[in-house]
Amino acid sequence: MSSSVATKPRLAAAAPWVSTGARVVLGGVFLVAGGLKVIEPQAAVAAVRAYRLLPASVAPILGWGLPFAEIALGLLLLAGAATRVAAATTAVLLVVFMAAVISAAVRGLNIDCGCFGSGGDVAPRQTAYGIEIVRDFGLLLLALWLVWQPRSRFALDHLATGHLTEASQ
Amino acid sequence: MSGPKNMNARERARLATEQAAARKRDRRILIMMIAAFVVIVVAGGIAFQAWRTGRAPSTVPSASVSASPITITNGQPIPLGSPEATVTITLYEDFHCPHCADFEEQFGPTITQAQEAGTARVELYPMAFIDEGSVTAANAMACAAEAGFGQGYYLGLFANHTLQWSDPQLIDLATKVGGSPTEAFQTCVMRRVHADWVTSMNAAADTNGVAQTPTMLINGKEVDIASLTPDALQTMISDAAQK
Repeated sequence: MSSSVATKPRLAAAAPWVSTGARVVLGGVFLVAGGLKVIEPQAAVAAVRAYRLLPASVAPILGWGLPFAEIALGLLLLAGAATRVAAATTAVLLVVFMAAVISAAVRGLNIDCGCFGSGGDVAPRQTAYGIEIVRDFGLLLLALWLVWQPRSRFALDHLATGHLTEASQ
Repeated sequence: MSGPKNMNARERARLATEQAAARKRDRRILIMMIAAFVVIVVAGGIAFQAWRTGRAPSTVPSASVSASPITITNGQPIPLGSPEATVTITLYEDFHCPHCADFEEQFGPTITQAQEAGTARVELYPMAFIDEGSVTAANAMACAAEAGFGQGYYLGLFANHTLQWSDPQLIDLATKVGGSPTEAFQTCVMRRVHADWVTSMNAAADTNGVAQTPTMLINGKEVDIASLTPDALQTMISDAAQK
């Protein structure tokens, strides 16, 4: 898995620490984003509706379910459990989020992304699509790094797969 | 060719292959367990939120602010409190806006106290832009004010702001706030009798330059809610009362 860095010892030594940092940032952001949405189920559904992409009957399922998915992914990333799968799922979600925000911008909607709770329609000048996309892109880079370098310090993955011994070679 | 040394090597290779396969299987089982965990969390979460938004409203202590039945007029806010009060607190709120619920939790008691003391009365502009529940709640608020239990209903709507506000919930709330869900009230809720008035509230907010909820004005002057504390609000109200 890490053959690409094995030839560069310095990178090989640093990579697990970079991955730990990526896990904490990405996991923390997802945990907070999910948590803020969970406490306001109505607003979460309204935020989904504001994108005007999904049929009315599907919006509540996404508005109620997605925050819990974010919390679960956030916990997995923070714990370092199934890091590669969790990071890949997170990356897919982030691409979907970015596509949704871009589509809202292209269609001329005036909405808040609802990324951290609230969301919904806003005044024309209050949109922040640029910042939202840049932020998601930054998180996407972290997620992709973790897909490439899932091995990290302080991770539950070690317990399950015995990577600890491999890493110390 | 089939010496013991050779056997050992083959044995070792077989063992290594088996171990690798076992490890792979373990990892796959672990990933499946984690996936199952995520699915259960999400499904449980959806069920939990469906319950949270669909349950019956909770009881709210009935308000002691006298509220005589009022007439709903398009473009006109709902008055709550004594007509003789010298201070007018104008509120623009959506019953499904989370910040409005926060506002109500933080400043509601101070405002209610001023209403009960007869120093202030509220002019309520219920806006409806978050979702369908904002509309049904704003309509029902008008129905309740018309029936004479507007004050209690207002507090009840915010105390239960996570509910989706279906017709049965809105009718149930009347009982929970010390009002009575008369047949007229039920019809008013179910037929959306004040739908035009709700639209007129949004239009009035637009006309008055209100772009966000909650917005509060004391005697016509907008208050900066972001840096407000309940004590500061209390002072503002008593200052306004002395002028």
